[in-house]
Amino acid sequence: MNHLFPIEHSYLIPLLPLLGAVISGFFGAKWLKGKSHWPIWLGVGASAVLAGWLMAGMIQHAHAEHHGAIWLNQNWYNWISAGNFSANVGFLFDPLTAVMLCVVCGIGFLITVYAAGYMKGEEGYFRFFAYLGLFIFMMTMLVMGNNFLMMYLGWEGVGLSSYLLIGYYYQRPAAREAAKKAFLVNRIGDFGFGLGILLIFLAFNTVGFFDGGRGDLGVLRLAASNLADLSAFQVEALKWIPFLLMLGAFGKSAQFPLYVWLPDAMEGPTPVSALIHAATMVTAGVYMIARCGTLFVGNTAAMWTIALVGAFTALFAATIALRQFDLKKVFAYSTVSQLGFMFVGVGVLAPVAGVFHLVTHAFFKALLFLSSGVVMHAMLGELDMRKMSGLKRVLPITRWLMLIGCLALAGFPFFSGFFSKDEIVAAAWARHSLLGLVMLFTAFLTAYYTFRLYFRVFEGPLVQPQAPVPGHGAHDTPAAHSTDMAPDAHGANSARDAAAAHDAHGAHGGHDSHHSHEPALMILPLIVLALGALLAGYLNWPEYHGRSWSLGEFLGQSPSLRLAHTTAVARLGAGEIAPVPFGQPEITDARVVMQQQAFHLRMMIISGLVSALGIYLAYLMHLKDRAASEKLARRFAGVARLLEGKYWVDEIYQNGIVEPLRRLAKAFYAVDRYVVDGVVWLIGFVPQLAGFSIKLVSQRGYLQGYATWMLFGVLVILLLVLW
Amino acid sequence: MSDLVLQHYLAVGAILFVIGLIGFMTRRNLIVMFLCTELMFQGVAVNLIAFGRYHLAESSQSFFASQSFVIFLLVIAAAEASLALGLVVLLFRSRQTLDAEAWRELL
Repeated sequence: MNHLFPIEHSYLIPLLPLLGAVISGFFGAKWLKGKSHWPIWLGVGASAVLAGWLMAGMIQHAHAEHHGAIWLNQNWYNWISAGNFSANVGFLFDPLTAVMLCVVCGIGFLITVYAAGYMKGEEGYFRFFAYLGLFIFMMTMLVMGNNFLMMYLGWEGVGLSSYLLIGYYYQRPAAREAAKKAFLVNRIGDFGFGLGILLIFLAFNTVGFFDGGRGDLGVLRLAASNLADLSAFQVEALKWIPFLLMLGAFGKSAQFPLYVWLPDAMEGPTPVSALIHAATMVTAGVYMIARCGTLFVGNTAAMWTIALVGAFTALFAATIALRQFDLKKVFAYSTVSQLGFMFVGVGVLAPVAGVFHLVTHAFFKALLFLSSGVVMHAMLGELDMRKMSGLKRVLPITRWLMLIGCLALAGFPFFSGFFSKDEIVAAAWARHSLLGLVMLFTAFLTAYYTFRLYFRVFEGPLVQPQAPVPGHGAHDTPAAHSTDMAPDAHGANSARDAAAAHDAHGAHGGHDSHHSHEPALMILPLIVLALGALLAGYLNWPEYHGRSWSLGEFLGQSPSLRLAHTTAVARLGAGEIAPVPFGQPEITDARVVMQQQAFHLRMMIISGLVSALGIYLAYLMHLKDRAASEKLARRFAGVARLLEGKYWVDEIYQNGIVEPLRRLAKAFYAVDRYVVDGVVWLIGFVPQLAGFSIKLVSQRGYLQGYATWMLFGVLVILLLVLW
Repeated sequence: MSDLVLQHYLAVGAILFVIGLIGFMTRRNLIVMFLCTELMFQGVAVNLIAFGRYHLAESSQSFFASQSFVIFLLVIAAAEASLALGLVVLLFRSRQTLDAEAWRELL
């Protein structure tokens, strides 16, 4: 494996996108202009090819190794060396890295292609692509890093790119606020992560994952050793480290207390929402927990916290998504909810299921976001689903793409989301049936809100937003039907959103009047993503357990998952382990395998039925009789308002945390301004006053007076000398 | 009458210096004040040369050092005088008076 080109020259994978970002960032404004996407296309494309190559080589190697762990630690240079602290710039290659790299670079490339079509003619086109390249660089650093410091670097870096891209339309106050919010909320989580890394270093004296960098063992291997071999402090630290790291994961992956930034992040351009806020960056928390499994699994309380927070977030966000009317907002809450699923996956000791859902979710959620981007493009920046209907006549291709994405998200049988979600539900069920039930119910809600959106937007009578937005005058819009639409219950809010969306596309003026609603540059990447959304589920076809090409088997050869498994077995006993492939290919007991398969089959049938039921309910309420849902909403006006207000979490945070902090800051400001500054001013004033009064006596403009003072001074010196 | 000793020279230097000082303190004419500073200067120069003459042996290599130092000093004084007198002329031109009081507001 050492001689594989992408590993020998692994630095190319992060550096090529960075190079692209530098080129389009520095030369884009003046020279590249509308061609600024080329450096990024080439850079990210090349990284995607390298990632695919790496994956192919890794799979071959995995076959050769049978069921052994495969990993390669590669140090490029010593980054920091201070006292007994040492951190390398180095990469770790194992199946988990390979999978993450393929997702990041592959989907990243598709989205950059789409973005060139979507962002065409925007102001600051080069800026967008430079940020995108920077993001891919940071994300690859995050998933490739072989120590916690590298991971933290990438972690902060993607946060920065996310901030820059959310605030891309910085002229709009909403975008600025959203960018700041995302950054600040992430800081809370990152603070925990940073403390976690400090504690890890204190306890284990290294920050390397598997290799300490100085010929010693890395943290993850040390943490996997017998409890008896660990010092008391290390055992104590292992109780706290997972909680600190978890805080970082909750922030980055938008889990319950810290999820509020993600829906607001939809202020960014749609490709950004797809890439960063759905497919890649937000899954970093899941990746981190999967990577550091050995630190987590021994700690039952931490694992339960992860699972419960994930389950709660999944349910909570899914209910909010029920009453959102903005396409992107629905998908944003859906992303939060699906991330909750992934956390449940890693929390119930089924990291393979979590990572598997991460992969399939990356495909179908990117597809859904980008498709809604096509809708937004065609509908003149409109995203309110109450103002559109029957769009399948206008956007025939997008309709099919969206349908595939929705079926995958809804977990309809044989689409990708079905397999991955089913594994998580099964694992959760095996852990505790109540947890499984909550996940099943959430899956039902997911199917319902997904198809509510689909039926509203693409089926039924054709309705398009009428008033062309200024700057879009050139669009030839078919005369819009002004039929009745749902009563505007949440008028003010949606009007603001719509206005924001209009602004976003205000720069689109000057399009020729006969361009298609579905430009090829935007549709082609979507077709690839749709294929992924259709087929990614077969990567981990559960029946093919014994075969070594399933994703679970492959991931099972990652040292992270393997060590986590052995640690979990050692600390908790085999009974605690979820009966889903936890990367434990050594299960050869045919009876156990059979049991697992039967369990899975039952689970699959149930979750398939649940999904179909959700879709059917959506069909009843949103296609057959659209008034029905509004009637229901009026019946339960309180609940509807609660959901539309997103449980007023933002308001609670605003009034409960932000405002008190602001008042505290004001008080501190007053103390600083009047007390501290006053003392400083007083100290400065004393010599000033003294100088002034002496000046009144001595400095009067008489030359002779000065001479007298000089003489006096000389006399004093003389006196002192002669004394 | 006794021989001239160092103290005599020092007394001459001190007298020159004090005359200059008193002149500087009491007169307000810029040129006179300037002349007084020159007097103080020369008082110091006399001191210097007297110390040089009395404290250094005739055979010592630096015997002439003090004297050449004083010559150097005089040259500097001459250069400085030309500059200062030029300034005084300029000051006179702008105020039509040589009274130092005229420049009080520069304080």
